[in-house]
Order: sequence, then C-alpha cells, then structure tokens
Amino acid sequence: MLNIQTRQEGNASVVTIQGKVNFEVTAQLRDVIRDTVTTHQPKLMVINLEGVSFIDSSGLGLLVAARNSVDKNNGKLHLCGLPAQVKKTFDQTNLTNYFSIFTTEQDALRGA
Amino acid sequence: MTKGVVLVVDDEAQIRDILGFYLKRAGYQVLTAENGIEGLAVMAKVMPDLILSDLRMPGMAGDEFCRTIKGTPETRDIYFVLVSAMDGTSTKIGGLNLGADDMIAKPFHAQEVMAKVESAFRIIEMQKEIKRQNLELTQFQERMTTELSLAARLQMGLLPSLPGAAPGFRYTHRYLPAEGIGGDIYSILPGADGCLALLIADVSGHGVTAALISAMVKTSFESQVRLGGSPLTWAMGMNRDLARNTLSEQFATAFLARIDPSTGAMQYLVAGHVSPILIARGAQGGLHRPQVLAGHGFMLGIEEDLPFEERAATFGLGDRLILYTDGLVEVEREDRRLLGEEGSFACARNSPAAKRRLRISWWRKPAPSMNRHPSWMTSPW
Repeated sequence: MLNIQTRQEGNASVVTIQGKVNFEVTAQLRDVIRDTVTTHQPKLMVINLEGVSFIDSSGLGLLVAARNSVDKNNGKLHLCGLPAQVKKTFDQTNLTNYFSIFTTEQDALRGA
Repeated sequence: MTKGVVLVVDDEAQIRDILGFYLKRAGYQVLTAENGIEGLAVMAKVMPDLILSDLRMPGMAGDEFCRTIKGTPETRDIYFVLVSAMDGTSTKIGGLNLGADDMIAKPFHAQEVMAKVESAFRIIEMQKEIKRQNLELTQFQERMTTELSLAARLQMGLLPSLPGAAPGFRYTHRYLPAEGIGGDIYSILPGADGCLALLIADVSGHGVTAALISAMVKTSFESQVRLGGSPLTWAMGMNRDLARNTLSEQFATAFLARIDPSTGAMQYLVAGHVSPILIARGAQGGLHRPQVLAGHGFMLGIEEDLPFEERAATFGLGDRLILYTDGLVEVEREDRRLLGEEGSFACARNSPAAKRRLRISWWRKPAPSMNRHPSWMTSPW
C-alpha cells in the first residue's frame, strides 16, 4: 500500500511518500511527481521518505528521474527523512552522493 | 447486402406475410416457418440473427422452440423475441424466464415490431463487436504469451552455458526471473591476457524492457572487455553506453571483476549492486568466515561521467565466489519478512540450493598438478 500526499509550501512542493516503493507502484508515483512538476514548476521539490519501509531499484530510478525533471525546470530536489533501511540502499548505490539529503523536512525546505 | 437475417415463425400465414413485408422493406432478409420444428429445419440451412416467434403453434410451440434455441450452444446467442397473443405481466415474465430476449404482445402494430427489431439489431451488432474484440484480445494475448516465452528462451540463451568452465575456474548459475523474463544478466569472458572478466547486473524494472536493456548491458560489457582495461574503465564505458541509450529511469546495478588466475589477484567494482560473497576454500573452508566484497558506487546509466571506484581482493585456489541480485534479498520468507542480506548470506553459506533468481557460484579450480580432489568437486549442486 502506497500513500502519496503533496502540498505547496511557498515556492516549494512537498511530496510525502508512505509505504513500500516498488515496481507495482512506481507508475502511480511517477504521475504524481510529473503532475506536481508541470503544475507548480517548483523551484524546490522536497520528497519526504520518512514513511517508506522499502524501496527497490525501480523506486530509485523514479527518484533519479524526478531529479532530472526538476533540474530541467531549473529547480532543486531535496530528499529527507530517510529511514535506516532506505539509507542503506542509498549508501550501497552511492545515491547518497547524488541527491541532496536532509534529516528533517524543515531542513530540506530551508535547504540547510 | 441485407441488414441481417430474421426468421419469422408463426402458424398464421397472414402474420408471416405482414411481418415479412415490413422486414423486407426495411432491408432485412426474411426466413419463415410455421412452427418450431420447421424453424429448426430452416435454421439448419441459414442461421438467422434474430427470431420472431409466436408462442402458441401446433407442432413445436414457441416456448419449447425458445428453450431449444437457448439450450443449444450454437444457437443460444441468437436474439429471440416471443410474440404472444396473451398480454399481461405474468406472461411477459414467463417468456423472459424461458430465455427469450424480448416479448411483443399480440395484437401488435407493425411499427412497434419494427422498432423492436431495429433496437434488437443494435444490440446484436454490439454483441458481434464485443465478440470480435474479445477474439482479437484472446488472439493478441496468445501471441504475446508465445512471444514472451520465446523471448524468455532467448534470454536464457544469453547466459553462459552450463556446466561452465574457463581455464582455472568452474561456475554454475540458477536463474529464475519473476515474470518469465527479467532484467538480470551475467557474463563470463576469458580475456586475451589469460584473465577472466566477470559481470553480474540487474536492470531496474521488470519485463521486456528490462530484458532488452540487460542484453544491451551484456553487449556493452563484452565490447568494453575486448578493449582491454580493468573493471574501472569497463564501468565507465558501460555507464556512458547506458546513460546515452536508455531513459532516465533505466539503469543497472552491476558487479564487475577481473581475475588473474595465475596470481589470484582480483580487481572488482561494485556499481550499486548487492555485495558478492567470497568464501575462502569453498565448501572445504568451513573454518573461514565468508568475506563480503564491500564497495559502493553509482549504478550504471544514471548520468555520464559519474565517478566509480575499483577495489582489490584475492581469489585464492579453491575459493568460492557467490554473486546474486537483489531478487534474492527481496525474497519474502514464510513469515512475510524479507530475506534480507543477512538471510541471503546465510543461504549462500549454508545451502548450495538457494531459492531465487540468479546466483552464480564460482570456484577456482586447483591446478591440475595438485593431487587432490576436494569434496565440492563431486558434491551435488
């Protein structure tokens, strides 16, 4: 079960994801991210992964694609709230060095 | 070209004539019969799209005729309208219970009958269209299933053949894609310099797309190896190939290694892949702790010019190397917990028959001059 919520914080779009991110749900998540980018053209997109229990390679692919599409609009993508399991996957794939990762959503919004 | 074929069954010639006249004028081909038995005889020659049948007739009456038509697989889809001399709800329900598709009460207006016939034909056309589309879908599905199984066979053909051996090495694998076809691939390539080049990769996503990209990964690997170099240059080349030729969501995790059988020196590179396990002295080495070939690096194909990191290890005589994909880590155990890396680790260590997807095990053979045959050489795999 995947739960996705989006909201606007000033110029920033915040996407909160909860649940297991795998191949079965990437289509749903892709639509949400694409719609958010098209509608709001955010200067900053924050994806909060606090509630994510598991992420597989297609989920990681989606995040990479999300970064690319935000980049194209001259925006930035910040990730936050990575649970230990997800953090491990990010470390293993070196994506920790590819994304801007923050501990809390507030930090991610401030970009600090 | 008629609009359709209508069979009119009535023991009264006058009614057959009236209905026949209006139907022909409206562009239908008309067949007639005096009762059910005659109707069935007519239908043996020409199959109507719609039947307009009286209820009360000598010989075979309308109710029995209707039951016969609706009870026979070849004729049950023919639209059946009962024309009944009795009016009233009970009869209507009774008629529909027989399986008739509609009822017309006698006495009728010809216009009413024609309106019913027209609406019946709209339904008949829709049913025909649905049947046609259903058939097309079924055929399409059959074709896809055939093509998928062909593709799956082809993909199996891309894997090294078993039992596998290269100078100084033996290897085997188990490949169980989740959907018949998948994005896992591996390759073993003896180099001109006597070294062995090794790849295991897992393309993101599932199905045909992942399988196609996995073939691309293998080709890219093999052409890189032919250029010489080491896992670092191979990874950079493959990364470039993948980044240029796939969409932004598509990439591959990979483990690349180059092993020199004369010295046992191994250069390896982990590109976002689950870390392989090296068991010193293979099955014999029960006292040795398995070594995880740690290392982390970007997956291949995210972006051009990302940095990669090559590491070194020793692959000694009689050692065993176990490569796998995250399909093994993501196996759900009976208690619904994921097997996890720890579980995979235990699996690899304890049992040669791990349950999921790709697993390559690989031993360095003792040199022929060595006089002993370790137990694993004969142990069942």
